[in-house]
Amino acid sequence: MKDNWRRNVPVFNVPIWTRPFQVLCVLGGIGLVLVLYREIVGLGPVSGMNDAYAWGIWKTFNTMVLTGLGSGAFAIGIAAWIFRRNQLHIVMRTAILTSFLSYIFGLTMLGVDVGRPWNFYWIAFPWHWNLHSPLLEVAVCMSIYATIPLFLENIPTVLDYVYDRWPQQRLSVEKFEKVVVAGYPFVVGLAYVLPAMHQSSLGALMLLGGDRVSPLWQTPLLPFLYVWAAAFLGFGFVIAILLFCGIIWERPLDVDILSQLSRINAWLIGLWISARLIDLTFRGRIVAAFRPDFFAGLFWAEMMILGWAFWMSRSASVRRSPRGMFFGALLTCLGGMLYRFDPTTTAFQPRPGSIYFPSVIELLISIGFVSIGAAIFIILAKVLPVLPAPLSLWYEMEAQREKSSQVAAAAIRSAAGQFVA
Amino acid sequence: MEITRRDLLQRITTGSAAIAVSGAVSAATMTGLAHAEEPAKVPPRAVGMLYDATRCIGCQTCVVACTKANDLQPDNRRDPLHQAPGDLNYRTKTLIKLYKAADGKEFSFVKQQCMHCVDPACVSACMFGGLKKDSKSGVVTWNGKYCVGCRYCEVACPYNIPKFQWEGFNPRIVKCELCKDRLAQGEEPACTAVCPKKAVVFGTREELLKEAKLRIAQNPGKYFENRVFGEKEGGGTQVLYLSHVSFSAIGLPELGDESVPRKYLKWQRRLYSYLILPAGLYAVLVGSIRKNWKHHEEHMREEEQETGLRAQL
Amino acid sequence: MSNHATIEAHLKATGVSRRNFLQLCGTLMVTAPVGLALTSKKSVAQIAEAIGKTRRPSVIWLHFQDCTGCTETLLRTSTPDVAHLILDVISLDYHETLMAAAGAQAEAALHKAMIENSGKYVLVVEGSIPLKNDGRFYEMGSRPGAEVLKQAAGKAAAVIAMGSCASWGGVPSSDPNPTGAVGVDSVVSGKPIINLPGCPPNPYNLLAVVLEYVTMGKLPALDEYNRPKFAYDRVIHDNCPRRAHFDAGRFALAFGDESHRKGYCLYKLGCKGPVTHASCATRHFNEVPGVWPIGIGAPCVGCTEKDVVWKMSTFSTVPIHLVTPPDTYAPIYAKNGALKTGAAALVGIAAGAVTGAALMGARRLPKQALVPAGASETEIDKPGSEIPSGD
Repeated sequence: MKDNWRRNVPVFNVPIWTRPFQVLCVLGGIGLVLVLYREIVGLGPVSGMNDAYAWGIWKTFNTMVLTGLGSGAFAIGIAAWIFRRNQLHIVMRTAILTSFLSYIFGLTMLGVDVGRPWNFYWIAFPWHWNLHSPLLEVAVCMSIYATIPLFLENIPTVLDYVYDRWPQQRLSVEKFEKVVVAGYPFVVGLAYVLPAMHQSSLGALMLLGGDRVSPLWQTPLLPFLYVWAAAFLGFGFVIAILLFCGIIWERPLDVDILSQLSRINAWLIGLWISARLIDLTFRGRIVAAFRPDFFAGLFWAEMMILGWAFWMSRSASVRRSPRGMFFGALLTCLGGMLYRFDPTTTAFQPRPGSIYFPSVIELLISIGFVSIGAAIFIILAKVLPVLPAPLSLWYEMEAQREKSSQVAAAAIRSAAGQFVA
Repeated sequence: MEITRRDLLQRITTGSAAIAVSGAVSAATMTGLAHAEEPAKVPPRAVGMLYDATRCIGCQTCVVACTKANDLQPDNRRDPLHQAPGDLNYRTKTLIKLYKAADGKEFSFVKQQCMHCVDPACVSACMFGGLKKDSKSGVVTWNGKYCVGCRYCEVACPYNIPKFQWEGFNPRIVKCELCKDRLAQGEEPACTAVCPKKAVVFGTREELLKEAKLRIAQNPGKYFENRVFGEKEGGGTQVLYLSHVSFSAIGLPELGDESVPRKYLKWQRRLYSYLILPAGLYAVLVGSIRKNWKHHEEHMREEEQETGLRAQL
Repeated sequence: MSNHATIEAHLKATGVSRRNFLQLCGTLMVTAPVGLALTSKKSVAQIAEAIGKTRRPSVIWLHFQDCTGCTETLLRTSTPDVAHLILDVISLDYHETLMAAAGAQAEAALHKAMIENSGKYVLVVEGSIPLKNDGRFYEMGSRPGAEVLKQAAGKAAAVIAMGSCASWGGVPSSDPNPTGAVGVDSVVSGKPIINLPGCPPNPYNLLAVVLEYVTMGKLPALDEYNRPKFAYDRVIHDNCPRRAHFDAGRFALAFGDESHRKGYCLYKLGCKGPVTHASCATRHFNEVPGVWPIGIGAPCVGCTEKDVVWKMSTFSTVPIHLVTPPDTYAPIYAKNGALKTGAAALVGIAAGAVTGAALMGARRLPKQALVPAGASETEIDKPGSEIPSGD
C-alpha cells in the first residue's frame, strides 16, 4: 500500500540544470535559429517539400502526429470523468501538461509551416470562415482547445504551487479555486468536444486526397479512426511518460494504475484494429493488403506493431511487469504514430515519380521544437506538482524543505552573528 | 448493486438525453443527405477553354504568352538558357507536356493549367476563402489577403494545379486564373489568343461543350472514348479536353462523376451540419461530468481528512 | 551632274536601269520592314515613286579616327552596280576617300559644299574624335578634329554617326583610350544625331535614314542610344538562322569541330547575339546571302552594343534576358523531391537516440511481474466503482 500514487509531487530532489537538459536546450536553440532563417529565405531552400508534396513533417509529424500523442488529457479525461475510472484522476495532471505542450508546439509548428501566417487573424472573424474546410475546423478547434480548456485545466496545478509556496496567498487561492471549481465541468466538457472534433478533422484532411491516398488508408472512416487512434496514442504516451519519469527520476511506480491504463489501452487498440479491418473488408479494399507492394508492407507493419501492442497491453502477466507495460506503451505510440503519419506522406502519392523526404534543416527545426517541449516539461515537472507519487514522497519533500530552510536560517544567523561580531 | 430512486431518476434523465441527442443527430444526417444529393451547379455564365490534343503542335506559344500576360518571370531554373520548367510551378501557370508511349507508337501533347472545376476541391479546402470561385464566370481566383499559405489547396486539388512559391518571405499561391484581368477588359485569355492552331479555344462552357461534341460527331473514332473530359468528370470542369490518347496517359485522373469535395466530405459535412452533433455531445458530457463531480468532490474531502493535506483537484 | 536634279532625273541621266532602282527600293523595304514612313508603302513601285520625286540629298562625309571600314562597307558590294547606284541616289559632295582632290583643294571643296547646301546637307561622321591634348591626335587643315566637326555640324540638317567609333568611340576608345576618343554626341550638340553603330554598320541603314529624311522630311524613331528603331529594335538572337539549334540544345563546342561544321548554335563559343540589337540576321552584307559573322561560323561580337564589344571577353557567354521554351517538353509527371544522405542519417540518429533511450530506460525497470499491491484487478476495473483511488 505504501507505494500507491495518491498525490502529485514535484520532482524536488533533482536539479533542473542537468546534462540531458542542456542537450535539449542546445537542440531547441538550433531549432529556433533555423526558424529565423526559414522565415527569411522561405520554405523551399530549408525543406524537402516540393510541388508534389506540399506538406512536410512540420504539419504531418509535429502537428498531426504529435497532437495525437498529446491526446492523453482528452482520452484519459473521458475515462476518468465520463466512465468514472476514478483512480485515473491521479495521472490527469501529467496527461494535461503533456497535452498542453504538444498542442502549443503543434500550433507553433503550424505557424512556422504556413507561408503567410500574418493572415491568420481572419480566424477571429467567423463570417470569413469556410465551414467546408476540414483544415479550418482543425485550426479553429485546435487553437481554442489549446488556449482555453487545456490551458485552464492546468490552473489547479499552478494554484497548488502558489498555495504551497506562498502561505500568505492561501486565502486568495481558495477564493479563486471556488470560481475554477464552479466552471470546471463546463471547461472539461469543452476539453472533450473540441479534441474529438479536430482530431477527427485531422483525419478528414486527407479525405480530400482522394484516390491519391492508398486505399488501405483512404476510407470515409478516416476521421473516426484518427480520433480513436488519438485516444490510444494518448493512453500509450501517458503510460510511457509516467514509466520513463519513474526511471529517470527514480520515483515509485503504482503498478495498479499503470496496469489499469494499459488495460483500457488494450481495449482501445483492439476495437480500433477490428474497426479498421471490418471497414476494409466491407468495402473490399482489403485485397490491396495482399498485393506485394510497399503500401501493403506498410499496412502490415502498422497492424503488426499495434497487434503486438494490443497483446502486450492485454496480457495480464505482461501488464503487471513495468518493463512489459513500457514496451507495450512504446509500441502503441509507434504504431499509432505510423498510422497517423502514413496517409499524409508515405501512403500518399500526389504524382507518380515524386517523393518527399525531410531536409536536414527541416528535421533540425522539428527536433528543436520537440526538445523545447521536453525541456519545458522537465522544468515544470520539477517545479509544479505534476507527476503522481505516493504520500511518502510528499512527506519526504516537506522534510527536505524544512531542513533546507533550517540550514538557510542557520546560515543567515551565522552570517548575522559574524556581522555583529 | 442496489438501485436507489435517485439513481433511477438520473439514469432516466441521461437515457432520454442520449435518445434526444441521437435523434437530433440522425435528423441532422438526414437533412445532410438531402443536401448532398444535388450536384454542384454550373455558374450561369461559366466561361472556360476547350483543348484539343489532336490539334496541338506543341509550339509552346501559349506558355510564353501566359508568362507575359501574367507578368511572370520565365522559369529557367532547370536550364538557364530556356524557359523549360519541369512542371507547373509558381513561375509557370500553363505548360505543354509531352506524352510518349513506351513503345513509341503513340504520342500526344497536353496543355496543363487550372481546370476551373464546377465544384473545386481547392476552394473547399481553403480556410478563409483565399481561393474563390466567381459566382458568375466560375473562374477560380486567388486573393492574397485571405491566404494563410497552408497549401491545403495543393493537397486537395486532384489535378495538382495550385503551386506555392517556395522562395521568399511573402509567398503566393500561383495558378491559372483564366487571365481574369484580360477577361475584364473584354479580351480572351492570352493562351487562346495566341494559339496558331486553335488547339485551345476560349468560350462559354456551353458553347465549348457543343463544339466538342460536334467535333466528336464529325470525326467518329478519332477521339478517345468519344468523350469530352470535364463534362462530368470530377463533378465537371470549365476547361474541357479532347484527346486521341487515353486521358490518364496525358495525366488527367479518372475521378468519377461526383466532385471530390462532395464525394469525400459528404459525411464530414453531415456530421457538422449546424453544429448540432457537437453541441449535443457537449451537453451530454457536461451533464455527465457534473454528475460525477460530486463523487469526486466527496472523495477529495475524504482524502483530505485522511491525510490532513489539502486535496489536489 | 547637278545637285538640284531629282533622283529620278539623275538616274536617267546616268543611265541606271529602272529595274536596278526598283531592286534597291526592295532592299530598303527588307532593311526597314517597320518603323519608317518611307517603306510603309504598299509596293516597291510606290517607294520608287516617292524617292524618284525627291531631290538628291547632299551628303558630306567626314573621317576622324577610323579604319575606313564604314566607307568600305558602302563600296564593297559584290555587284559594283549597287555601289554606283547608291552613290547616284545620294549626292556625296565631300568624301576624302572617294574624291580626287587633296590638300588645299580638298579644304576648298568642303567649304564650298557646306556653303552651297548650308542647313540642308546631311553630315555623316566616320571614326571617333580625340579630345586629349587639345584634340591634336587628329588634325585637318591644321585644325583639331573636334573643331572641324563642330563647324561642319553647325550648318548640317542632321548628323549621322556612321559606325561604332563615331557613335561612342569604338575601338580607339577601348581601354586605356590614349587619345581620349569619344563619339559625335560628346562633341556636337543642338543637332539631331543618329547613331548607326556597327563595325561596320550595314550601308542600307544609312541609305534608309538619309532617304527617310529627304523624302518624308523627318527622322526615324530612335531608341535610348539614338539608334534608329527600324534596324536596332530586335536582337540578333530573335531572327538568327541558327535559332532552331539553340532551342534544340545543339551547340557548337569548339571552332572547327564537328558541331561547328554542322552549323550548330554559336552561343557557347561566346556569341553575343542574345544581347545585341542589330538587323544583321535579316540584312546580310555584300549582297551575298549568308555573309555576316554568324552566317560564316563566327560568333557575334556584339559590335552594335556599347557595353559588349571591347568590354566583354569575346568567348564569354552572355545572359539570356528573355528565355523562351526549348523544343523539348516536360514529361506528364515531373519527378519531385530527393532523398539526401545527411537527412536520412539524421533521421537514423534521431530514431536511434529515441530507441536507445527507451531501451536503456527499460533495463532499469523490473522485468518480472509485480504482485498486485492493492485490491484485485477485476474490482478496480469495474466502472463506476465506489472504491476511492489508491486505497
